[in-house]
Amino acid sequence: MNDSSERRTGRFTGLAAALAGVAVLAACSTTTSGGDTEGAGGGGTGELTAAGTYPIESLDPHGAQGASTGTQFAGQALFSRLVKPAPDGTLTGDLAESWEPNADVTAWTFTLRDGVTFSDGSPLTAEDVVASFDRMMELNGPNAGNFPEATMTAASDTEVVLTTPAPDASIPGKLVLFYVLPSGIAADDTAFFNDPVGSGPFTVDGFTPGETLELAPNPDYFGDTPATDRVVVRNIPELSARLTALRTGEVDVVWGIPDDQLGVLEGDDGLTVETVPSTAEFTMWFNSSVPALEDAAVRRALWQAVDFATIIEQLYPETGEPATAPVTPVVLGHAPQEPVAFDPEAARAALEDAGFDFSQTLRLQFANAEFRPFLQAVASDLEEIGVRVEPLEKEQAVFTEDLLALNWDINFQQLATPTFDAASNLGRLYTCDAARTGYCNPELDDLLARAGGSADEAERTDLYGQASEIIWNDAVGMYPMTVSIAYAWNADLEGFTPDPSGLPDFSTVTDGGS
Amino acid sequence: MIRMVVKRLLIGVFVMWGAASLIFLIVRAAPGDPASVLLGPDADREQIRQLHATLGLDRPLHEQYVTYLGDVLRLDFGESHRLGRPAMDAVLERFPATLELTLTATTVAVVAGLLLGLLAGARPGGRTDRVVSAVTIALQSFPTFWVGIMGVLLFALTLRLLPSSGVGTPQHMVLPALTMALPFIAIVARLARSSVTETMREPYVVTARSKGLTEPQILLGHALRNSLVPVVTIVGLQMGALLGGAVIVENVFAWPGLGSLVVDAVANRDYAVVQGVTLLIAGAVTVLNLVADLLCAQLDPRIRMEAAA
Repeated sequence: MNDSSERRTGRFTGLAAALAGVAVLAACSTTTSGGDTEGAGGGGTGELTAAGTYPIESLDPHGAQGASTGTQFAGQALFSRLVKPAPDGTLTGDLAESWEPNADVTAWTFTLRDGVTFSDGSPLTAEDVVASFDRMMELNGPNAGNFPEATMTAASDTEVVLTTPAPDASIPGKLVLFYVLPSGIAADDTAFFNDPVGSGPFTVDGFTPGETLELAPNPDYFGDTPATDRVVVRNIPELSARLTALRTGEVDVVWGIPDDQLGVLEGDDGLTVETVPSTAEFTMWFNSSVPALEDAAVRRALWQAVDFATIIEQLYPETGEPATAPVTPVVLGHAPQEPVAFDPEAARAALEDAGFDFSQTLRLQFANAEFRPFLQAVASDLEEIGVRVEPLEKEQAVFTEDLLALNWDINFQQLATPTFDAASNLGRLYTCDAARTGYCNPELDDLLARAGGSADEAERTDLYGQASEIIWNDAVGMYPMTVSIAYAWNADLEGFTPDPSGLPDFSTVTDGGS
Repeated sequence: MIRMVVKRLLIGVFVMWGAASLIFLIVRAAPGDPASVLLGPDADREQIRQLHATLGLDRPLHEQYVTYLGDVLRLDFGESHRLGRPAMDAVLERFPATLELTLTATTVAVVAGLLLGLLAGARPGGRTDRVVSAVTIALQSFPTFWVGIMGVLLFALTLRLLPSSGVGTPQHMVLPALTMALPFIAIVARLARSSVTETMREPYVVTARSKGLTEPQILLGHALRNSLVPVVTIVGLQMGALLGGAVIVENVFAWPGLGSLVVDAVANRDYAVVQGVTLLIAGAVTVLNLVADLLCAQLDPRIRMEAAA
């Protein structure tokens, strides 16, 4: 090599070293403590950073995003409800001190607690509750569909009455999705939500839709003021990025963690990992309106042919449990049913007896890639007895349209019951009018109507139990698994309780992050 | 020159109309109903019908198209019913983050690529050239998502030198910008090397040497300027690709740009946002190409003369 070439090589090496040096110098000043996007560290400051499984696109709980998990999460932090669910699924009062129905369960009276103020200091009255309900109904978003033709009036400053055209015992449960805003907020007032006034445990410290929501304690909150100085909820769409951020200490809490990632996190001394039973259940409806599946014996045989216990053990060892009813144990109306035993020979024989056409292919539709291995395993078991099933992964938009049009043979959903009441699952989805599964049984309709109209909790549970028995024995669908939500959080965090709906309440945290 | 600008602007208008029309048709041709996905599986048919009417989706396609084009001409890009706000507001809120990332990646790529190209092209076949060639081939071969994930594993998780995701400090920019820049560095370096190699064989370079100019003077004074024309052209084209292709990098690093917005908009059939993002990127690419053409004309008198002719 001649001199000039040597010199150039030397320059190249120097350039590379300089670039690397700049990068390292830039990097060295970075602190990656949790609860801090500014790099100053969150240690001991009471700041907390969380990364959920969903973006928060809107803070308007009455609008089009009202039913989305992100908006529901923000809603419970910023606003109050008449009632809210306790971690065990029972309803507790939030703004309401008590509630009771009239004799025929067509009107519910809610008595409000005294002395509640909004974060701007103004008192919260029955008028605000009624105005909020009217606003929700006017916007006709997803939550308004829970209250068809219902009206709310203020009986006094501290009492509101919700009247429905038909008996509805599930009204308190449905109201866990209803949030109270100050009166006078127009339906199209988007400016209000830039710095909303609420009566929840937190106020907004900063909000960038789809990116971050920063929360500060609301000193006027009627409950215990949160001990955490600041909560930052970040949107990290990629699961691996969320878990990396948790392990580096950039975030303090992550949830919705799949089983195959739990082992690594459990081996980390700095993290606490827990799973909590949720209201979600793997639900695999059969389309009873197609000739191949109109016979209950065929549907039941197909269920019998799948070794769900083994599939769950292999794929969901920590977040899955074999289901015992069409709704999960934390939902009001859960009644355990006789397990469907895996017996492929009996299944094959039953299908042959029923004259099942083995040459056809059943379309199994689903909408999320994370369920692909589970559904491939189901298809594989059915293939073993000669039943061909084609798993069809669809985009959510296509899936929903096809779901409502019954354009499928088997439909897979992870179906949650956010109201913790079987009325919004069994009562809503399994009637002849609902036309969700192609299954229609007047006896079932009658049971569900009676359950929906009874204010007696024991009677309701009994009636939903009878309804569940019909749904289960007629195999309206296969109900393989109840879902637990896995949470992992910084072990230094105190007072944090995993939430069964995936909507963690950070107001209970007593000491901050890393 | 003015004639060239006017001509390019007219072509730009045609390109924008084409982009606006294509995206209008493509989003509506895609299966899936915006009202169903917006209201969710709990909606009844009456609610869906009402929302169709609200969104104007119950009208014939040609009527929707005429209304849409008229609105776009008035710079009204429609309302995102899903987000409850004007679509372009949401798009413009996210655009600066994408632009910041793209500009940083481009700057890094151009500076590093030109330096490497100059070093390699100064003596073709030499040791530096061989090293640069090997490095650039490697950089172009690695998939972007893999580079991003490896960067996170090494610099964030193992060495704890850089944040793994998010925004807030200059350090947050390092990994996503480098991830985007690396394949671009290779493109620029290879282009610059080839251009410099060619220039260094030109007779005027021999003349310059015989007049006693040093190699750095020749490289910086002659080779660099001449190699800039193809580089500027490719940068103009590549920046458009970077703007549109930032989705993966933004997702890996939770960078709050257009990436996740457009992915969610497509998944939710949020026509207004998809159209808004497409038109904004189409406009940016059109402008970038015009700027690249003007720069090329500035750098190379022959292009100016052709334009004048």
